[in-house]
Parts: sequence; structure tokens; C-alpha cells
Amino acid sequence: MKKLVIATASFAAIAAMTLAGCSARTDTGTGTGDEAAAGFAADATIGVALPDKTSENWVLAGQLFTDDLTAAGFTPDVQYAPASNTVAEQQNQITSMVTNGAKVIIIGAKDGAQLSAQVEAAHDAGATVIAYDRLILNTEAVDYYLAFDNFKVGQLQGQALLDGLKAKFPDKTSYNIELFSGSPDDNNAGVFFNGAMDVLQPKIDDGTLVVVSGQTEVAQTATQGWLAANAQSRMDTLLAANYQGTDLDGVLSPNDTLARAIIESVRSAGKPIPVVTGQDSEVESVKSIVAGEQYMTIYKDTRSLVAAAVDMVKELQAGKEVSEINDTKSYDNGVKVVPSYLLAPVVVTKDNAKDAYANNPDLLAAAGGS
Amino acid sequence: MSDTTPTTGTESVEKAPFRFRDLGKMFGGSQSSGRQFGILGALVVIIVLFEILTKGKTLDPNNLINIVNGNAYVLILAVGMVMVIVAGHIDLSVGSVAAFVGIVVAQSMYVWHWPWPLAMVLGLVVGAIVGAWQGWWVAYVGVPAFIVTLAGMLFFRGANQFVGNSTSIPVPREFTFIGGGFLPDFGPDFGFSNPTLILGLLAAVAVIWQERRLRSNQRKMGAVSAPVWVSVVKVVVLLLVVIGATYLFASGRVGTSYPIAGIILAVLVLGYSFLTNNTTIGRHIYAVGGNWRAAELSGVNIRRVNFFVMANMSVIAAVAGMLWIARSVASGPGDGVGWELDAIAAVFIGGAAVSGGIGTIVGSIIGGLVIAVLNNGLQLLSVGADRVQMIKGLVLLVAVGIDVYSKRQGKPSIIGLLTRGRRTGVDETPVPAAPVGTQTPTPSQGGAQETARPQDLTPEG
Amino acid sequence: MAQSSEPTILEMRSITKEFPGVKALENVSLTVRAGEIHAICGENGAGKSTLMKVLSGVYPYGSYTGEIFFQGAESRFSNIRQSENAGIVIIHQELALIPLLSITENIFLGNEPRKGFAIDWIEAKRRAIELLARVGLDDDPDTLVKDIGVGKQQLVEIAKALNKSVKLLILDEPTAALNESDSQHLLDLLRGLKGRGITSIMISHKLNEIEAIADEITILRDGKTIETLDVAKDGVDEDRIIRGMVGRVLENRFPKRNAKIGEVFFEVKNWTVQHPHSADRLVVKNSSFTVRRGEVVGFAGLMGAGRTELAMSLFGRSYGNFISGQVFKDGKEIRLRNVDEAIDQGLAYVSEDRKALGLNLLDDIKTSITAAKLSKISKLDVVNKVEEYNVSEKFRKSLRIKTPTVDEGVNKLSGGNQQKVVLAKWMFTDPDLLILDEPTRGIDVGAKTEIYGIINDLAASGKGIIMISSELPELLGVSDRIYTIFEGAITNEMTAEQANPESLMRSMTSSNKKAS
Repeated sequence: MKKLVIATASFAAIAAMTLAGCSARTDTGTGTGDEAAAGFAADATIGVALPDKTSENWVLAGQLFTDDLTAAGFTPDVQYAPASNTVAEQQNQITSMVTNGAKVIIIGAKDGAQLSAQVEAAHDAGATVIAYDRLILNTEAVDYYLAFDNFKVGQLQGQALLDGLKAKFPDKTSYNIELFSGSPDDNNAGVFFNGAMDVLQPKIDDGTLVVVSGQTEVAQTATQGWLAANAQSRMDTLLAANYQGTDLDGVLSPNDTLARAIIESVRSAGKPIPVVTGQDSEVESVKSIVAGEQYMTIYKDTRSLVAAAVDMVKELQAGKEVSEINDTKSYDNGVKVVPSYLLAPVVVTKDNAKDAYANNPDLLAAAGGS
Repeated sequence: MSDTTPTTGTESVEKAPFRFRDLGKMFGGSQSSGRQFGILGALVVIIVLFEILTKGKTLDPNNLINIVNGNAYVLILAVGMVMVIVAGHIDLSVGSVAAFVGIVVAQSMYVWHWPWPLAMVLGLVVGAIVGAWQGWWVAYVGVPAFIVTLAGMLFFRGANQFVGNSTSIPVPREFTFIGGGFLPDFGPDFGFSNPTLILGLLAAVAVIWQERRLRSNQRKMGAVSAPVWVSVVKVVVLLLVVIGATYLFASGRVGTSYPIAGIILAVLVLGYSFLTNNTTIGRHIYAVGGNWRAAELSGVNIRRVNFFVMANMSVIAAVAGMLWIARSVASGPGDGVGWELDAIAAVFIGGAAVSGGIGTIVGSIIGGLVIAVLNNGLQLLSVGADRVQMIKGLVLLVAVGIDVYSKRQGKPSIIGLLTRGRRTGVDETPVPAAPVGTQTPTPSQGGAQETARPQDLTPEG
Repeated sequence: MAQSSEPTILEMRSITKEFPGVKALENVSLTVRAGEIHAICGENGAGKSTLMKVLSGVYPYGSYTGEIFFQGAESRFSNIRQSENAGIVIIHQELALIPLLSITENIFLGNEPRKGFAIDWIEAKRRAIELLARVGLDDDPDTLVKDIGVGKQQLVEIAKALNKSVKLLILDEPTAALNESDSQHLLDLLRGLKGRGITSIMISHKLNEIEAIADEITILRDGKTIETLDVAKDGVDEDRIIRGMVGRVLENRFPKRNAKIGEVFFEVKNWTVQHPHSADRLVVKNSSFTVRRGEVVGFAGLMGAGRTELAMSLFGRSYGNFISGQVFKDGKEIRLRNVDEAIDQGLAYVSEDRKALGLNLLDDIKTSITAAKLSKISKLDVVNKVEEYNVSEKFRKSLRIKTPTVDEGVNKLSGGNQQKVVLAKWMFTDPDLLILDEPTRGIDVGAKTEIYGIINDLAASGKGIIMISSELPELLGVSDRIYTIFEGAITNEMTAEQANPESLMRSMTSSNKKAS
């Protein structure tokens, strides 16, 4: 009896609250993607969600976004995902940005395949979503994509390896090489590798290149976690198992950190340093290239990429069409073709180092310029 | 205090007037409730703090939905983990098992085109097989759970990447409702989510029914029950919380409601709370964790208990894994990294003991919510991930530190601090002087004693 | 015997120590003269151990009120280290040795002789041999502590104390875990130390030992000093001490009962059990015995004789490797392959080690009581909590377990009340045969009498009781019939009327059967 009374009372209470907020329900959800075209406040919050700080480039990008967005009058909300449980925390960071009312959210995805739900929520709330460096897959809610062309990076690495081998060993007709790829949990690792193999595979097939270990699959060549230690120990093993009697002429390395680890391994095995590729233009590798050890690296100028992103934000704020789109065909995320702006990566060797780094004082100094 | 003095005044507490310690009875009368009370207080403080700091964004309906959806998988893991820890084990493999199950389920739907209900059944079956495997090693071979699950952590991480070729596999949209979906709205438009209102009503009825049942049971037992006003205050407070939560969850964006992931979590919490509190297997878990030798000599089948907690953990990890891929709309190679640590942290913040035997499901959920709200609040304040992690680490340390310290002081934790010195005399007399003499065992002694007997009963005669 | 003219070595004045809600010590004073053996007696919870913890700095200065004068100077110890430096060493009931370290390593733990930064093991071993000789041990100092018996471990503790140039040695229940001969050896050693001017304070429940060895006895009751007796002058005997401890004359320490002994209903034939780790060692050899309904059967044997091993191996093979033997109940052979089966067959085993094997100290009273037969109050594996509460309430009242409510944690109970909970737990399984292994160990005199009463009631209700005990007076007082065990074999059987301590001891120490 008493129970019934209390139950009724509580229901009445809920019902009363319900009626008090009458008709609010249909009015609230106004956020749609179209709204972005109308522009927004000049000091609006701009969310920037970046992955964990695994390379210098992401650290630099974060600083540049903070500085450039502030300079342009916006309120930047720049967040890095932590090193553990990265994807989940990045999801949470994006939803927090939506709660904070961000008008544009720029996302450097940890795993572009696992953000669609959050990106859609952001889009529904009226934010414009820009995928930065890594494409966000399987959703309509990505508005733009800004990146260096990673397949191109791989192709350039492959071509540079061939060029370097020809230049270093003009007398040889076939070269012994080994292949390294990045972390198996990073989608880009496969893209780099496939780009490189796009150039190298024909040469392997015709016998110009010989992978002595026979390890040519992505899974075989992977470097778990992009860790130098893993690459170094794999190189040690390869040398011990396959190169007791023969020379190693070249190594495809997906980035600079791994390239230096590979060179270190070869050096400690007492072998001559082969042609080793790289990527990212890390200071130590630039020095190594100038010293004639590592053969090449790729320069992806983070400054230009961030600048392009901030330009986009400015145009969105003014309610204008985004002008800098140079590819509306290539980047299909599984649901739609995302309008993209791609920057070209630059190959840097000993010969062109000073020219390539002309606008970057740190790297220029490392390259021995002034 | 001698044992020969007759018992005094044990039944004379019925008609006491206002007593501060009665407040403690709101959260049950058992030993661990004090700790839960403390951590619940901490949760409230953190919510209020961030509500102020974020200028009202913390309790924004959509943010609350985000908190539930973004943490349901960790909280679900904590439900299983608390049972593992109470039984005196640990499970480091949950993240990897969740990732493995996730990729298998995603594969079954995306590559083999299985319908999602069948895929979910597959996920649970895979979880059960993994659990049986790990449980067998722990319970029947006798390898410590730390080692077995460390092996499982490596094995199933690799298995995830093997199955998925180290890439992400998307899942179909119709599957995503369990991780990020909402109840469909229906009926007249009140401006609120109607299904949420109904859930709130159910919760309110349950609160009242539960309290009435408690009182009627106490009457049946002839046990000392708290004064009626305590029950009334308790029910009113809980109803206010329920109504408040209902209001907030019901007033989110159109199309949202209390999240389905949250409903799955609630069902698991209720079910497993019942299991641990009211069933023989639940009792046996606490008995094995508290003193496995004594449990064995009481006829408890220790192997079966160990097998159950480990196997059950993997099934729960499978649920968490499926929830996660539904939320992420894909299963990836990095899924579940570090989840085991989040779940373990939640359990310990929620009052469990490292040595086993102590811990509750509700406590662990509160512990998990403390971390979740803290995390969310700091992210709303745009605090960097580096500092967020530092703060979370300190919170874990301080929470457990306060508990250890208060135990060492002989105080029954925070509730004890509140009620100390306010007890009436009659309650006092019959309590034997615990700290006096040699009868003050600390739980930690158990470890040494476990191994000392009876194998080492060395005949000397 | 100490002369009253001997100088005072220790004086504790008006010590008061409070714990939240409890006054453990109230205005306690203690005066110990140099070179004497001073016993402290009192029931459990009287404050003996607390007083010693105050003295040794476990409870630091400031956490209690009152003054301590040691060797004439006021002492304010804030930790054990300081009191040890002053020459006060306490040997706790639970030995503080590390089982996996050697005797030498244990003796010098925290006090290692050094040569530069390294430990000088040669010097350590040399001194260890010397110290071991002083306590009458000739074991290899490299032996691991876990491999020597409890009696020897106690001696190692004393050797450790001697190494710290002890002036005042405090022993908390030193003989509780020792058999008669080891106890005797220890007491002799204390006398020897006394001859060398080392003062000892001894806490013990074994009043005959106290009577034999102490010069003075201080009696505590409920946290207060009751009196200090001079053994030689006051003509102290056991009854006198008991009177001081309990505050009244305890009559009928062993309550009388009219045994109604029925038929033999439980019979064990040729029971043989192997040591769990060494296959060549039989811990129970070819033992046969019977139990009648309503009968209390005593098992007498020295520690390690195989009493506990016999009991536990019967109770669902909880100990050792079963080799051979049969068990008959009511004339039919029964199988007891695990504890569950044993409980189903109506066996119950109350372990000698309450804390390690009998109870889950994290539990509350009601869950402890129902733990061994939850099925009795469950339906479809769901526990009926109302019934659980009511059942345990019934036991609380009938066994007079001293606690306000059965929701209380068992760790808050005194030893005697914990033991009652364990008894309740096994009475709840409604057994036909109850095996009690040292049921009164470490509990005080008053509670012991209550336990004896419970045993009598159980027997009177027709249950068979097996009682294992190291205290011969207790066995003689409670049992109807007594078996003696020596080295794993039953050596003799006698009725309580036939038996006396001397005859029992003879059969407990040799395998020659005495003609009875």
C-alpha cells in the first residue's frame, strides 16, 4: 500500500518534470552539416585532436596549430592522445571537443577506421571535420582531408633506393637488399610499404634486386610499435643468418628512426654501410646523410601542412568555399570520396639537403648550412 | 575483557533517537561499506568540482551520454575483474582478449557476412573458449594467473593482428547500436526521451522496493534495523539521484536516450551483484580469496571457483570487446591496449584488496566512474593527455593510500571517522577489545600462513 | 630466587593505552628486578601483549601515557630498533623468522657483521655456531629455518636476541607451539640465561610452567594490574594464579556430565598416509580406532606425532597422500575422497590453526557459520539471507558468542569467541563425528570451560567426538577414552579412569605398548 503511494508520487514527479519541459524536444537538434557554410564566430573554439607523441612531427604540429590558430584569433583546443589506450582516449577527446562547442575539428587519427561514430556526432553537432595526415574511414561525416601523399612517399623511397644503389655500385648488375616496414597496427605502414614495392617489385621479379632473406611480406618485415630496438634486432638476425659470405647493398627503411637503428646494426656487425632509405627528416638522420651514412630521407614540411589547415579554418569561418582542394578522386574512405588537399613530399639526399631545408633553420643547421 | 562476562545489551538499541552512525546504515552494514561510502563521496565531489570548473558542461546531457558510452567497456571489464581480484588472482589478458574477440566478430560480419546476432553469439562462444583455456591453466594446472594471463595478453594480441592482418576491419552499421546506440523514441512528444523516462521510473520503483525488502527482511531476522527516518532519507536521496539522472539523460539531443551500452552495463552490474552477494558461488569466491585453505577445509571446490572466475572474466572481456567495436565501428590492431590496467585501477579505487577477499562490484563501478569523470572533466578543460595520466596515477595512489592508512589506524575508514565518538554506551560494551592482546590479525598474514601449513608440519617427536 | 634487594631493572608506571573505543591498558604498573624471571598472566585480552608492545616501542612514546624507566633512566622508545639498542628484545608468539633463509642469515638479519660494504659471512657463521651452542642447538647454521622444527626455531630466536646483547628478554607465549620436551628445554635455557644475569619477562597461559620457573608473577585483568606475587614467599600455585586471573575461584574446570555411550558407529582400519612431499615417509602408520555414539575419544601425542595428519587425512584427504585403509560408518564402508564427501558423510573437522585453516578473517560471523554447508540455507544456489541470519543468531545465543550482532567481522572477536564461531560452523553441518584439533589452544581459561561444556552437550546429543590435545589434564578431564600416538602409529588405548599423565606420556614417547 505504502509502496504504491511512493511509486505513484515518484511517477508524478517525473511526469511533472516531463511536462515542464514540454515541446523542447523537437526544437533542440538543429545541428546539421549545412550550417558550416554560414560561417561562425571569429574567436570560435577549434579542436585539434592529435595521436600520441610518437614522432617529432606530431609535437611540432601541435605547437604550430596552437600558435597559428591563436594568431588567427581562434581559441585552439589542442589535445594529444596518451600512449596507452590511444584510440579510446582520442574518441573521448573528440566528444569533449564537441561538448566544448568546437566549430571545426581537425583530427590526426590514431586509427582512422575507429573514429566514425565520434566524427558523426561532431558533424551532427554542427562542426566541420578535417582529417589531418590520416584519412578517417567509413563515414560521410569527413568534410576534408589534408595530407602528404603517403603512397607517393613509399614510391619515392623505392625509387631513391634504386637510384642510390646504381650510384653507389655502378659495376653491379644485381643488388642484395632487405626490406623493413613499420608497425603492423599503423595503417600508413602498409601504405608506405606498398608504395615502395610498387617500384621495387618489378626489379625483384627481374632479378635486379635480390632479397636474400626472402622476407618480402608486410607481416614478415614489420617493426612492432615503430621501435628502433625491434628493427635493430631484426637486422642483427638477418645479417647473422644471410650475410656471412655476401654483401648487403641496400635496405628499405620506412623512416629515419629505423634507418639509424639499421645502420647501427650493420656497423656493429662490421659490414660496410649499405644504401638506407628514410623518412621524416629527423635531425640526427639529416646529420647522418650529410656524413654519407644514411642515403636519403623524405621531407614533409609540417609547417606547410598546418598552414594549409589553418587557411581552411579561416575560409570556413568566413563562410567561404574551401579553395585549396587539389584531389577530388583518389581518397575514397569507403563511403564517400573525401575532397583532399595533398602536399608533395620531397626527397632529400646529400646533394640537395641545403636547398630542401632552406626554410627550416634547425634542419638547415644540421645539414651544415647556415 | 574476559570471555566469561555475560553478554550485555545487544538488543537494546532498537529505540535509539538520532544517531550519526545510522547514516552509515544507508549503505549497508558490512565492513566494506565504509570504503564505498568514502569513494562515493569522492565521486560526488569530483562531479561537483568539474561541473563548476567546466561551467556546466560536465552534467550536460550529451556529455553524460559520452561518459557512459566512452567508458562502458572499462566498467564492464571491472565487473569481471573485481571477482578475479577478490578470488586472489589478476587478469592481464582482458584487453587482448577483448581485441581478439572484437576482430573475430568484425571478421564474421564483414568478411563472412554473418548476421549480427549470430556474430555476437560467436563472440561470446570465443570468449568462453578463451576463458576455459585460461581457467584450466590457472585452476587445474596451477600456474599463477599473473603468468597465464600475461601469456594470454601476448598471445591474443598477436592473434588479433593475425586474424585482422594488422589492419582495422569495419563492422556493419546495424551492429553499432550496442556500443553507441540509443533506445528508439515512441509515444507522445513530451520533449524528453520517453524510453529513458520509463527506465527512470523502473529504477525509482526498484529503489523503493529494495528498501522495503531490506526492512522486511531485517524484521524477519529480528535484526537491528536503522530508524525509519534513515530509510526515508535514503530513499529520498536515491530517488533524487534517479530523477536527476533521468531528467538529464532524457533531455539530450533528439534521437538519444540513456545509451544502450549503459543498459547492458546496468544489467551486468545487477546480475553479478546478485551473484556475488546472494549465491553460493559468490560466497565461495570471497571464501577462496579470503583464506583458500579454510575454504578448502569447508568443502569449497577451489578449482571450480578459480576456473569460474577466470573463464567468466574472458566472457566479460568478450562483451566489452564487442561493445568497443560497436562504438568504434571497426575493430583495430591497437584495441584494448592498456584496458586491463584501467579495469584493475577501477577495482582498487573501488575498495578491493590486493591480497584478495575484499571488493564489491558496485564499489568497482564507482571507482571506474571516478576515473571516467576525472578523465572527461580534464579533457573538457583541455588538459593534455600527459597531465591527465599523471593525475589519474596520483588519484589511484591516494585513494588506496587513504584506505591503507585508515585501516592501520584501526579506524573503519571514512565512515568510521564520522561516527567515532558518537556511539552510545550500550553498543560499546560487548565488542571485544580487538586491538588488545594477540587477536588482531591483519589480512596480510594470510599469505605466509597459506604456504606454511599443513605441508610443513614437521614431525619432531 | 631473586632477592628483594636486587636492583630494579624495569619500572613501568601508570601506563594507559587507548584504542579507538577501547581502553586496553589502564594505569598499569610493572616492576621487574634485575636477574629474575617475571611472568605476566592474564586472560586473553587482559592487556599482556599490549603492555609488552608499549615496552618494546611497537606503540611509540606518545601513543600511551605513563612512564617507563629502564636501568634507572626514563625510556621513550619510538620504535623497536631503539628498544633493542637499549637491550630489550621481544620474541613474539608468531615467530619473526624468515623460513627460506638459513639460521645464520636469520640470526644476523638487520645486524650483519660487515667487512667494508660486504657481509662478513665467515665471522657471521663463527658467531652463529657460538650462539647456537649457548642455546643448546648443534644444527648446521646453514640449515634453512623452514627445515627445523618450531622448538628449534624458538631457540634460534633466542640466539638472535643474545646476539643483540640482550639485557631484558620478553617472551610472548614461548611454549604455546612446543611439545613437552621442547618446552622443558626452553625453560631450562631460561634458567641458564638467568644464571648469566639476563632478566626475562614471560607471558604464558601454561600455569604449571609459570609456577615452575617464575620468581615473580604479575597478574593483569581487563587492562589493569591486579597483583604481583612473589612465588617463593606467597606460596603460589596454579589455583592461586587462576583466582587472580579470573577474579574468582573457578570450580569444575572440566564440567561433569553423565556420558551415555552408545554403539561403535565409526571405525577406521589400517589407515596409512604418506608425507605429501617425501614418498619414503609415512606420517600415519596402519592406525585403527573406533568411536562410539556419545563418546569423547581423546588423541594424545606430541606435536608432530601424526595426530593432525591422521585427522586431516581422514577429513577428505586434506593432508598427505592416501596409501591404504578403510573407514566404516554404521557398519558400512564409506569413501572420503574430498572434503565435500567427508561433510556429506557427517564428518566435521575443527582445525588446530583457527586463523590459517579455520576461518576467513575477512568474513563476518554469519557467513563464517554457514560456510561449510551453504546448501542447507540455499535454494537453487541462492542463499536465503534471512535464514542465514536467524541460524547464526541461534548459535550466537546458544554458544554465547560475545558480539553485539552476527554482522560483526570475525577478526574483531577474541580467540575464544572465534573458536566458538568455528564450532558453530561445524555444528551447523550437523555432523555425526566431530574432530576437534586442539580446540582450546590460545584461548583463556574461562572460554576453555565453555568449550568443554559445548563438547559435553554435543556428546550428550549422541555425536561422536574426537579430541586432539597437547594438554594432558584437558584430555583426561574431557575424554571417555584416550588413544596415544607416537611416530604416526597408535601405541595405546586406555579409558579415562585408567589413564594418568604419566602413563599417557610413556605411551606418547615410546612405541612399547604398556600392558593395560
